[in-house]
Amino acid sequence: MGISFESLKQTSAALYDRSLRGVPADAQRALQSALQTDRSDTARHTLRIMLQSAQAAQDAQHFVCSDAGVPVYFVRVGTQARFEGNVREAITQGFADLVASIQPPLLPHVTHPLTLARGYAGKGMPIITFDLVDDCDYVELICSPKALGSGRWAALQIFSFPDLATIEKFVLETVITAGAQICPPAVVGVGIGGTFDYAAKMAKEATLRPVGQRHEEPLVAEMEQRLMSAINMTGFGPMGTGGDSTAMAVHVDYNAGHGFTPVAVAFNCWINRRTRARLYNDGRIDMLE
Amino acid sequence: MTAKTHRLQFPLSEADARRLRAGDQVLLDGDIVITAGLPTHERMVQCLDSHTPLPMDLQEASVFHLGSYSREVAGGLEVLYINPTTSTRFNPFMPRLIRHFNWHAVGGKGGLDQASAQAMQEAGCVYLSFLGGGCTLLSQAVQSVLQVGWGDLLVHYRLVRLRVQGLGPATVGIDASGRSLYEEQVQSARQRLGDILDHLDRQRQLGANSA
Repeated sequence: MGISFESLKQTSAALYDRSLRGVPADAQRALQSALQTDRSDTARHTLRIMLQSAQAAQDAQHFVCSDAGVPVYFVRVGTQARFEGNVREAITQGFADLVASIQPPLLPHVTHPLTLARGYAGKGMPIITFDLVDDCDYVELICSPKALGSGRWAALQIFSFPDLATIEKFVLETVITAGAQICPPAVVGVGIGGTFDYAAKMAKEATLRPVGQRHEEPLVAEMEQRLMSAINMTGFGPMGTGGDSTAMAVHVDYNAGHGFTPVAVAFNCWINRRTRARLYNDGRIDMLE
Repeated sequence: MTAKTHRLQFPLSEADARRLRAGDQVLLDGDIVITAGLPTHERMVQCLDSHTPLPMDLQEASVFHLGSYSREVAGGLEVLYINPTTSTRFNPFMPRLIRHFNWHAVGGKGGLDQASAQAMQEAGCVYLSFLGGGCTLLSQAVQSVLQVGWGDLLVHYRLVRLRVQGLGPATVGIDASGRSLYEEQVQSARQRLGDILDHLDRQRQLGANSA
């Protein structure tokens, strides 16, 4: 037995659907906690409406946001996982099936970058990144529908032998440029080192960590805590109309590289869209997030 | 200071707009026009350039950057959902549109720039910040679709005049005196940046000393 085309297709669609209709429990807890500590009336008011909105969407099984984003999947393939059928095709069909059947219908966000024509499909869509995981008999599917509000303000700069102050300053400047436009409080993902492409991937994946989960290395975990308090001193607050809650979490990852050090910063807005499932060779499917 | 909540009739009058202060909360009743389209803004400006009439009267309208999904049903259109989009990408068009049509309320999310705030001050216009990710709550306030313009555009780009009841609450992000919460946050974040970087240095030093 192996992981069937049908189960991959259906799980791809189900993850996307679910990601649109709720806010992850850990993100809601982070909003609750911000509600206790934010000193601004306007901020607390907005945070309360955010929590109401999350609940209303869940109760009504409606969308949290009308920008359903573009389909982005991360696929972690266990080296002992066996597939029956074409993996990319299954995910692509899963999204196409979702577009055809989902209620309410999705707006067309997939955009040709040269003609600006919009629809539900396009070259290279869905965007799928594959990674290998040794000695596992499952495939992990992470769905991260990426919308314009938070997608637009990611940034990357390459430094030579930067010190920590230089790296952290770039993160702060990127947050200030993004300001109100990323629907804060946001999850801020930072990828440091490796190469141009790899730093961006680390930053993006860092936004998809459980909210507030610290990096295992103290050097990095301390940077996360420092940046979190620094970003929340900027004052943008919920929806950027002022307050202490600009970041709900900062997640940093790094990779060894050369003396040129790319620093990438990516954002996930307050609704923190992300869902995750594991599909096993024996047919089991665990919906993890 | 506790923010005031106002329940107001839309399209917003200049007098009502000029009474609102940045940070106030607004619940909306009445008629609004929505669009989320860059091509829509380009077309509006082209119409002004060529003295071509628009598909609906926008004089003194309340126009918001809200996307919508609507479908045809017997007797008209049904809106399935609405939600704000980032207004800043419409910055290049807004000052001229606000002045020309004498708009007294605009909005969406993320705010507008200082050139728009200047035009808003002249026209007596506020910017309302709707909750990004407020799709379910905001959509419940839609009563009916009154008018649709430019049906050839994508559904969320069209000009749609809606009747709403209790839409919001939205936060006054920019008021008609020219005060912009967005500009204030950016300016104060830039001013604080030096202190924030010092804070980071101290924290780093503390971490190094305790290691």
